Amino acid sequence: MIIQPFKIIAAILITGIILVSGCTSTPVQKEDEPTGLTELSFGYQPSTHQIAYMAADAKGWWLEDLAPYGITSTRDYLFPTGAPEMQAMLAGEIDVAYVGSTPPLSAIDQGLEAKIVAGAQTQGSDLVLATDLSYESPQDLVGLKIATFPTGTLQDTVLRKWLQDNDIDPKEDVTILGMGGANAITALASGNVDAVFLPHPNPTIIESEGYARVIVQSGEMWPNHACCVVLVSQELIDEHPDIVEQIVKTHIKATQYIIDNPDEAAQIFSDDIGVSYDISSQSIQDWDGEWVSDPNIEMDTALEYAKVQYDLGYTDKLLTKDDLFDLSFYNKVIAEMGEE
Amino acid sequence: MRRRKLELMSIASAIIIWEITARIINKKIILPSFTEVGAAFLELVSEGELYRDTITSLNYFAIGMGLAIAVGIPLGIMMGWFKTFDKAVDPIIEIIRPIPPLAWITFAIMWFGLTKYAAGFVIFVGAVFPILVNTYTGFRNTPRVLVESGKVLGCIKNRDLIFRIALPAALPAIATGVRVGMGVGWMCVVAAELFAVSTYGLGWKIWHWNSLHHMDMVLTYMLVLGLIALVIDRLFRYIVQEWWLKWQTGVVV
Repeated sequence: MIIQPFKIIAAILITGIILVSGCTSTPVQKEDEPTGLTELSFGYQPSTHQIAYMAADAKGWWLEDLAPYGITSTRDYLFPTGAPEMQAMLAGEIDVAYVGSTPPLSAIDQGLEAKIVAGAQTQGSDLVLATDLSYESPQDLVGLKIATFPTGTLQDTVLRKWLQDNDIDPKEDVTILGMGGANAITALASGNVDAVFLPHPNPTIIESEGYARVIVQSGEMWPNHACCVVLVSQELIDEHPDIVEQIVKTHIKATQYIIDNPDEAAQIFSDDIGVSYDISSQSIQDWDGEWVSDPNIEMDTALEYAKVQYDLGYTDKLLTKDDLFDLSFYNKVIAEMGEE
Repeated sequence: MRRRKLELMSIASAIIIWEITARIINKKIILPSFTEVGAAFLELVSEGELYRDTITSLNYFAIGMGLAIAVGIPLGIMMGWFKTFDKAVDPIIEIIRPIPPLAWITFAIMWFGLTKYAAGFVIFVGAVFPILVNTYTGFRNTPRVLVESGKVLGCIKNRDLIFRIALPAALPAIATGVRVGMGVGWMCVVAAELFAVSTYGLGWKIWHWNSLHHMDMVLTYMLVLGLIALVIDRLFRYIVQEWWLKWQTGVVV
């Protein structure tokens, strides 16, 4: 048999070209889109902290309110924690992020251009300990494995600060393992970690299974600490301030709606995330969180987080109010509402 | 000497191109420059972090590789030598072998907990099959003439035939298997550390700094991972050539 290397090489090349052309055809279409902004993309997380986003989405308010500004569709991405959400924003995939107030810190420090334009909620995370372990004071946690969200997230920051305040070295005295909520629950259920510190509804989900109980709520660790915020990309602020203003308005409306209708908020959350209505409703009753839309409420602790993260070496510079917040939209909307 | 010069020039020009590209892009998040990565590296070395991370990762790697060698070589020998055993075991191995090592992570945690053994297990799954398959092939390819001459000279028992004739003949193939296995196993280190079995380790630190968007740190750890793999490979090749396969010198060259 005569070997024909050129035929083999040709076949490999053709296969390669076909495969590559399959991958590259998508971006070409993207460039053909009209230049005016018609689609907004949102990032959020499967937490009761961010029901305001889900409510406005379920009610169709985003599309309805933003239609006058040329927005014809919205797209949303669900993230397990804030860290990957900020990664997506850095890659330019997201315009508006419902996110904890700490993941933006390291992202902005490393070059993300975005600002917090509204608050979303305060407090609302619980430390949950396995039932067979006793708890009287924070010292009982020494030597335990605690799962929480990854480095730089709100839960990671609040937990480390609280341990430090109680003279427990978060690096040496306990083992803090960073992971998403679902993995943390599995790890606790299988006995691989002793405790978890997670945002709601996770603590309620765990308690309903019966193998662990809430021992400390985050409001006890750090009273009125800031939690989720609405973060908008600088590009959107600069090029479409009218859209950002409307986003803030709709967010205020949705926040007020879920405060007034907690049962419906539970239903919306249940429909969006797939957690049962009973658990969602129980979680909203149990948590110590509070839905807010005023960014001023979040400001003080957010700046303290910036200090904590700077001290931990997570950020290269100490971020200031002007690096993180743009209050002009909220103030303008509130002033207009007062006039009406 | 000329080869060394060429190697150095190639590395130097790659670094220069990298530095220039990074400066043109001028965004640390997209491509940190060589100087930024160098500074991050020095910082990690001076703080002693890098040393602790390397020891942690090598510990996982040693557990995984040790287990892979302890299981892969004997199993490969059995399958290569005993036909019935091969026929019985082969279908099971062929079903398990194509499963990507990362798919085992969930069970690794359930079986071994969030411990170094879970990470070691994932590395084991990645490394064991190349070792097994190469040992098997090495045994299968033992020249018949060697086995028959052995028999003529009074080496009749299976045990003697395996250890005195087939095993030495298969050594080059086994060495290749271990080398390939180490390569795959090292790649699994990053994945194994992804699920937080500790708060140290080269792979874990990639995820840690990735969460904080410090791309200079991420790239530093990536390069360290590459360099350590290179050192392990060179060291292994040296040991094999100097000791294990010393008899081979002169066979071909």
